[in-house]
Amino acid sequence: MAKPEVRLDEMTREEALHYLNETLKPEEGIIPAYILTDPTIYKLEHEKIFMKTWVLLGHESEISGKNDYMLRDLAGYSVIVARSQDGEIRAFYNMCTHRGMKLCRADKGNKANFTCPYHGFNFKNTGELIGVPLQNDIYGGKLDTSGMGLNKVTIGIYHGLIFGTWNDHPQPLEDFLGDFKWYLDIALGRTEMEVVGPPQKFIVHANWKIGADNFVSDSYHTMVTHGSIAQLGMVPSATYSRKGYQVHTENGHGCLIGMPNPDFAFPEELKGEYRAHLTPEQYELMSNLKNMIGTLFPNLSLLVSHTKVKGQLVSNTSMRLWKPVGPDKMEVMTWFLVEKNASDDWKHRSREAFILTFSPSGIFEQDDTEVFTDITAAASGVMPFAKQLAYNYTMGMHREPVADFPGPGVAYGDKFSEANSRNYFRYWLNLMNS
Amino acid sequence: MSMEMMLATYEFQQWLYREAKLLDDIDFDGWFALMHPEIQYIMPVRINKEGIERPDYSTDMFAFHDDHHLLSLRVERLKSDYAWAELPPSRTRRSVNNVRVEEYVPNKRAVVKSYLLLYRSRSTDIHHDLISGERTDEFICLDGEWKLSKRFFVVDQTTINTRNLAIFI
Repeated sequence: MAKPEVRLDEMTREEALHYLNETLKPEEGIIPAYILTDPTIYKLEHEKIFMKTWVLLGHESEISGKNDYMLRDLAGYSVIVARSQDGEIRAFYNMCTHRGMKLCRADKGNKANFTCPYHGFNFKNTGELIGVPLQNDIYGGKLDTSGMGLNKVTIGIYHGLIFGTWNDHPQPLEDFLGDFKWYLDIALGRTEMEVVGPPQKFIVHANWKIGADNFVSDSYHTMVTHGSIAQLGMVPSATYSRKGYQVHTENGHGCLIGMPNPDFAFPEELKGEYRAHLTPEQYELMSNLKNMIGTLFPNLSLLVSHTKVKGQLVSNTSMRLWKPVGPDKMEVMTWFLVEKNASDDWKHRSREAFILTFSPSGIFEQDDTEVFTDITAAASGVMPFAKQLAYNYTMGMHREPVADFPGPGVAYGDKFSEANSRNYFRYWLNLMNS
Repeated sequence: MSMEMMLATYEFQQWLYREAKLLDDIDFDGWFALMHPEIQYIMPVRINKEGIERPDYSTDMFAFHDDHHLLSLRVERLKSDYAWAELPPSRTRRSVNNVRVEEYVPNKRAVVKSYLLLYRSRSTDIHHDLISGERTDEFICLDGEWKLSKRFFVVDQTTINTRNLAIFI
């Protein structure tokens, strides 16, 4: 193995990538600690992954009305996502094309035009520059406003999820999602879903990949990290989290399917809608689902969780973005979604379960972020790089995929495996080399 | 201010100081005993709105939205062997100030507003987290003791700068 005599930031880009390829070995289950915290890796990730791939901006239901807009960011760059009068959704870099001031500074709202606070340039929510104060006078009628529209962000929508990319020639969104759509359909497209309220945001001093990795493959941690939940009687038993399947598809995506479930985890009265939206195989799986946890590469995690609150079973559906803010810092952004046509009682109880379990105060969520923080601290600095500290990701390598699983991808009949992580980091490495 | 309101203000200041002390001393049972059976424990998500449009917090999404039972679950969990988020517990220091009694019916009910500045230090971290905000508390007098029947905490950050809310606000 290569000797780390020179730090990554002292190497050329080619040398750093060469070193990465020599030390990160997904097929062997070897993931070195430095990839979590090294600033050179962080910069490369920004360019090779977050500037290239599709990243979630939000959900259509957050801007359901004409002229609604919301402010999001794409790879750290502020983006206005707006629905215009004609109902179409577009996204723009939040920067006035005249002198670069941010046009919009509210989280969301409703308006047809955005006026720059600097010189009053006025842009339509379709991007065109439609107003320049004193234009004829001071530009002598010669300002070409047609080339001064807002910088457009390429977006794609699937099941209401709005993705954006800075890539000029992106892989089509549906191809990028690939076989993982089969699972996204169940988690977020089983019927019309809507986001309730604004997303919750909080800062964790941890590398973003730890969250993505945790959701893509790690059911194993629930026995210990979330032991308190079983003690409270909210889930059957600590070892229950092993039952079900671990599945991954191309492009690094993967999920954990907890089943069987003697109870139907979703509103009974919507069974007709679910059947209409899903294939018989998807519906069958959903009918037996206890929970579903997964990560859509690179940093969108989804979650369907069925728990007992106040003696009543209820499921809650959420998604979260692990947004990099620095090598050792991320912003976690969490949305709660619910069936639009569910009863008010269901919506209320489902939100209650979400807030109790997976919001920033959530009794599942909070133990995870504690672990993520300490992992990051231990991976930081020169020592873990110099000593070539690495994590063992070999769990389940002896297993063969199951042949009779109804969904696409590679499925294992035991959730306790690290196959999905190996798949995730394999794709991560592919992109880093691209 | 009338003498009655001065005394009421003093009384609720002392109540809030005592509450802060119980939480900072991680006496969760002692703290929970201050709650009224009808407690509503609410922390909405703060949002950036355009201009001075108010309220600038969500009316349908919350970081806390607990009743007595859900709050008791959190307390029980913190006392379990696996509550890693607070094992070992954060060192917290709650400064409660700007206490204003808005409504007061002696021996019956009261509404009290206050500011909270919560310092949180975890493990050996040299950096700390600060949570700042305004509480609107409602009290009901039960058997001669003031019990908290509603807490509505409006936090001052739209992105909360702490790893979780495994602590009470």
